[in-house]
Amino acid sequence: MKDYEPPTPVEIRERKRIKIILLIILVILIAIAAYLYWAFNPNRPVDYADIQEHFKYGSIGSEPANGIPYWIFKVLPDMFPEKLGGKGYAALGFIEEPGKDLPIGFSKRRVIVDRVGLNCAVCHTGTLRDNANSQPRVIVGMPANRLQLENYIRFLSACALDPRFTADNVMTAIAARTRLGPIEKFIYRSAVPLTREALIEQGSRLSFVNTRPDWGPGRVDTFNPYKAIQFHWPMEGDQSIGTSDYPSIWNQRPREGMQLHWDGNNTSVEERNKSAALGAGVTPATIDLDRLKRIEDWLLDFKAPAYPYPVNETVAAKGEALYKQHCSACHDFGSALVGTVTPIGKISTDPERLDSYTYTLAVNQNLMYAGYPWRFSHFRKTNGYANMPLDGIWLRAPYLHNGSVPTLRDLLEPPDQRPKEFYRGYNVFDQKNVGFVANLAADGGENFFKYDTTLRGNNNGGHIYGTTLSAEDKDAIVEYMKKL
Amino acid sequence: MKAKTRRTIIKLVIVVVVLGAVVGVVGWYKLFRKVPVYYASAEDHFKYGSVGAEEPTGVPYLIWLVLPRMFPEKLPGPGGYTALGAAWEEGQELPIGFTKMTIGFPRVAVNCAACHTTTVRATPKDKPMMFLGGPSSRFMPQAYLRFLFACGSDPRFNSDNVLKEIDRIYKLSWLDRALYRYVLIPQTKRTLIKQQTEDYTWMNSRPDWGPGRTDMNPFQLVVMKLPDNHTIGSTDIMAIWNQRAHEGFLRHSDGLNSTLIEPVLSAALAAGATRDSLDVEGLKRVNQWLLDLPPAKYPYFVDQNLTSSGNEIYNRECASCHAFGGARTGKIIPIEEVQTDRHRMDHWPQSAADAFNKYAEKYPWGFHNFRSSNGYVALALDGVWARAPYLHNGSVPTLADLLVPVEQRPKLFVRGYDVYDQERVGFVSSGADAEKSGFRYDTAVIGNSNQGHLWGTTLSPEDKKALIEFLKTL
Repeated sequence: MKDYEPPTPVEIRERKRIKIILLIILVILIAIAAYLYWAFNPNRPVDYADIQEHFKYGSIGSEPANGIPYWIFKVLPDMFPEKLGGKGYAALGFIEEPGKDLPIGFSKRRVIVDRVGLNCAVCHTGTLRDNANSQPRVIVGMPANRLQLENYIRFLSACALDPRFTADNVMTAIAARTRLGPIEKFIYRSAVPLTREALIEQGSRLSFVNTRPDWGPGRVDTFNPYKAIQFHWPMEGDQSIGTSDYPSIWNQRPREGMQLHWDGNNTSVEERNKSAALGAGVTPATIDLDRLKRIEDWLLDFKAPAYPYPVNETVAAKGEALYKQHCSACHDFGSALVGTVTPIGKISTDPERLDSYTYTLAVNQNLMYAGYPWRFSHFRKTNGYANMPLDGIWLRAPYLHNGSVPTLRDLLEPPDQRPKEFYRGYNVFDQKNVGFVANLAADGGENFFKYDTTLRGNNNGGHIYGTTLSAEDKDAIVEYMKKL
Repeated sequence: MKAKTRRTIIKLVIVVVVLGAVVGVVGWYKLFRKVPVYYASAEDHFKYGSVGAEEPTGVPYLIWLVLPRMFPEKLPGPGGYTALGAAWEEGQELPIGFTKMTIGFPRVAVNCAACHTTTVRATPKDKPMMFLGGPSSRFMPQAYLRFLFACGSDPRFNSDNVLKEIDRIYKLSWLDRALYRYVLIPQTKRTLIKQQTEDYTWMNSRPDWGPGRTDMNPFQLVVMKLPDNHTIGSTDIMAIWNQRAHEGFLRHSDGLNSTLIEPVLSAALAAGATRDSLDVEGLKRVNQWLLDLPPAKYPYFVDQNLTSSGNEIYNRECASCHAFGGARTGKIIPIEEVQTDRHRMDHWPQSAADAFNKYAEKYPWGFHNFRSSNGYVALALDGVWARAPYLHNGSVPTLADLLVPVEQRPKLFVRGYDVYDQERVGFVSSGADAEKSGFRYDTAVIGNSNQGHLWGTTLSPEDKKALIEFLKTL
């Protein structure tokens, strides 16, 4: 202690000054860090207070692993207009609401830069028009009757493989729309090759879909891409076709415990949701459970919209009696057979979708979300198709799991009298037959998708219930079903 | 000054000790902390319980999870681990016979049930029925090893790539991430390469085992590290149910042991446990459970009109060697008499038996009953319908094929397809579907001969039909 000499006043002042300078530097550093965090947040989704807005535009966590950088997504139609017929993303059946930045079903989240991902609404929001001249109404929760998801995948692959998809060209296209800061510019430049590689890889993993009949609007192969994307299985030897119609997703509470999915392969609503979220691009590591939960909770009691057109109540009353006699046992909430599987030998509808979902896939799904308490444990291989509740059935055309029968009235005809060819993708409602108008090849400059029931997976046979009734009785049942 | 220096040193020492303790505790917790798993039911324990292989040879769970996704081309086909023929119950995290235990971090190993669970389907579209304790006709232990080895030695198996795949399925904490990057992934790679280049090199100079078979060589070469005697130990996986009724019978096809517990413990060693890691209590539980595990009951149609005459033929032609209570049942039939392929028998000389009897002398459960023989055991035929292909080397696909002279038995057939052939009794062993998912078994390959066991081959076609019908009921 003898060595200790008290500091001189000059030294004290000197030390104080150094301390103040250090403090100022620290404050500046914190401010820079805060700015960088704000500007390049590693993970910040855009939130919506309104639940329907959240459903349509909110994030479920698909952006971090499978999102596309926002500005790249925006400029792809500018750069490659010919790949969309010059109509932008609407050409793929995406719904663009006025005043909205992104189509329905696209969410935004900042992961260093803003990225765009898919959410539930992309496949589960559709449109309806009263006639060829009326404006579409957007109906959330109904099947995305016009969505061409397969063509979206093809579009992205085609862009990525196009030699014009270079950092220079992308930056030029972005500059035509906005002014990026220097850091953002740098990030975007390096993001272009990464995006290209990710999209080429996705396209190559999914290339097997090109050896199957086209999905067309409103349909998706759910479980074959699962095999390729989640498990990276080689698909060369797998000739199965899983193409099926999008379902409606309203009114989930009474569905808990039912055999869900077309083939009834899962009885847990929660697990089914987490599985569907994987299809939208989340991974078990990136899924945003809170934001997904918000949607799940809302869907529990979100009801199907009521039929907006006139109903002949007299005919409907007669139809109700017939419906109770011929349909209720399998299709009414609370009935013995609703939500259970009718064996394929009995239902006799197209077997491809059933066969595409294999025992092998079911048991491998046990490893989805492994390491988390919500690891999958409810997937089962079944031997038929599930009897669906028919709430809002008027909005769920075309019918049967593969969407092979355009209207309810057609479904009540024997298979050989159902339309062999029809068109999908038109959203004008057919009030007489209940379904969408399906006999128009084109309208308003848009070509519709010709559905050929003779192709593999597209068969319109089976489900012959009610087909032997009189025409009058069939009309009556259809009239009643408008009210479901 | 001195005091100040001393204080500084003391402070430093404290910091180092505290830091060391923290690193030690965290390191122990993250790498060595053992969290035993107890299954309330003995059946679940058989299916998923540890035999003690996780510590010496377990693969870190997350790595095990991503390997089939990183290297699908190294598996025999699509389907993840099911491509190896593993039986996997719906809803279960792991296939039957795969165990998961946390020793610091979750690790995956195998147990008895991987090889000893039979799967049977009526048609290719059916999901399999599973019979515990029966031999798997599909699981490929060798292909599993080779898959792991091929992954380990692939240059793409490095921390960057493996973590990239793990990131797709699980959110690791920074600490776990660092452990995976710097410890677990490199260590797993080293272990797999070591196994491939040191423990299992002999495998490359022996015939492929194919599905539902194993080679006994790991007992001598991997467990005991005996010098390679250049023999071929190819053998069909055996049924292990109903052991109380087998009391006193010799075990393994060549009767190399007369107890049940010693084959159980030694098989666990061959499955990857070591003397010190062996879960003896757990294996005793398995052993006990196997005593009364019923043999699989034939699930398809049996023509009751034929079974009684079949029973008479069986009593006359087969019972003395194969029925419970038969004079020679469970005993050795000398090779000169049975005349089946001799390689498996020659593989286990007295020297191997002696070595095994010394191998665990210092352990309370040590081995005393290993022996060598000059033939093959006449096995009791409980659940024989599920035990196809037949003979100790699995060289005859169906019972119908076994009842014809050697020249007429199939020379080439498919193994590893579990669709059942109710006509011939055994698994479907030919045809496009079988060939697509099975393994071509060539009886001309060394150790694979389908010769011998000529009993019953001269019966009339009607008698054979009746006998086969009766055999379904055993």
